[in-house]
Amino acid sequence: MFPFTLIKSFIRVSVLQNIAYRANFWIDLLNSLLNLVVSITAIFILFQQITELNGWDLSATLGLVGVYLIVSALRGLFIGPSLEALVGLGQEVWSGNFDFTLLRPINTQFFVTFRIWRMNALLDLFLGMLVIAFAITRSASPVPFWDWLLFGITLIASVLTLYALLLAFSSLVFWSPGFLFTWVFNALFQLARYPVNIYPPALRILLTWIIPVGLITTIPAMALSGTAAMNTVLIAVLVAILMFFAASWLFQKGIRKYNSVSS
Amino acid sequence: MNHRGGFALIKSTWLSWLQYRSFFFVLAFGWMIPPLVAMFVWLAASGQDGIQGIHRSEFVAYYLVLILVNQITYSQANWTLGDVIREGLLNNWLLRPISPVYQVLSSEFAGKFVYLVFTVPLTILLGLVLRPKIDISFLQLSFFLLSLILAWGLRFVWGYWLALLAFWFTRADALLALQDSLVFIFSGMIAPVSLLPGFLQDIATFLPFRYMVGFPVEIFTNQLTLAEIGLGLLIQSIWLIIALILCSWLWKNGLRRYSAIGG
Repeated sequence: MFPFTLIKSFIRVSVLQNIAYRANFWIDLLNSLLNLVVSITAIFILFQQITELNGWDLSATLGLVGVYLIVSALRGLFIGPSLEALVGLGQEVWSGNFDFTLLRPINTQFFVTFRIWRMNALLDLFLGMLVIAFAITRSASPVPFWDWLLFGITLIASVLTLYALLLAFSSLVFWSPGFLFTWVFNALFQLARYPVNIYPPALRILLTWIIPVGLITTIPAMALSGTAAMNTVLIAVLVAILMFFAASWLFQKGIRKYNSVSS
Repeated sequence: MNHRGGFALIKSTWLSWLQYRSFFFVLAFGWMIPPLVAMFVWLAASGQDGIQGIHRSEFVAYYLVLILVNQITYSQANWTLGDVIREGLLNNWLLRPISPVYQVLSSEFAGKFVYLVFTVPLTILLGLVLRPKIDISFLQLSFFLLSLILAWGLRFVWGYWLALLAFWFTRADALLALQDSLVFIFSGMIAPVSLLPGFLQDIATFLPFRYMVGFPVEIFTNQLTLAEIGLGLLIQSIWLIIALILCSWLWKNGLRRYSAIGG
């Protein structure tokens, strides 16, 4: 399969590039551990004072933190760095180097999505799985196979939704070059650290239907604790597919809008 | 010392930064989000009865003031000074007939001004929607202002000595993540210090981080007795003096080590 061969060589080149910066591994490790400690500490401080947060008990909330870490790790693995090379501060769209990317004989969206890999993000993935495992051992009953299945489906839908949102926010750069849309998204994504139902109604609607950041972590966490209804799962999958097509459309529009700059 | 030149520099930096305001607005937006998320979490957790005597409107007041205090005291010396040392641009600063402190101060004030242009109106707007309970006496207000100035000084000088580590370690900026995590947990951002579990509360009382953000906010929201305010101001001053000594020592020795690279 041609796409897979390409992805394999993207990974190889990225690894070769990163291997020169060995100290970065330790710094990434430090950052991953700090991120984990802060997220978990926040939850434990909260549950010292209460036993339930709008229907979420400690183990369900920990499960949500695990989902947040896993989804963020997958983003950091390739989606984030690849799109950053496109629209980040001073990157391709700013400098005009996007010309060379457009000229390549492969699908542009495929290329800008998969080209750069940061393997150290696998650490975050591992830590996220640990948190999930910890959350499960704390819950009263074991997770049945059916819930694992729903969890897997909704997790894939979440990653797709996250990708679509990032692509959409990145594409906006074509209309307003110089504005850091992805940074705005990063700020909004912080809201996904907690279940979406803790927010006031207006914000909840925004995070569910307009910028579905809230769905990304809440629904897999619900599936894991066995409280996700079939409808919810279906909605999550539908939203993900819809978002994917909408974002791809926006990206294609954006490319057409792109005016190169000369140096 | 050439103070007049220093003030001219402050003014010019400020005016030039205003031209990049969309960039700074995005940054300021990003800094507002973690305290806002924490606020919504505590609002959801406290419900009707409040937690340990802190009620809904008091949480709102605490976090809205905290957002402003955090923005006022936020230290950016790592970028304005640390990067300059790392990249060898310090040469230019050393050759000028103005103390390098003014260079850092100029971006400090310039940044603060631009950030606050964004943060203050947004916080007022949030206040109109969420209705904080503000009930402050003249005495408290004066203590608040005093501790706020000390908090700014402490965070500035603290960030300054961390930035000076760049003389010795090229990747000293990795410490920034550690610093941010400590601030997030111990400064009262994750939760008001009085809601932390016992041992974390003790640590928070003696570490400097609470005195960079949370302490002035606690005075403003009427959480402290007069004796506690006095003790807090004392600890705050002690940390400020320690940081000042560290700074001057690191600067003297660092400058002796410094040799620029590149050209």
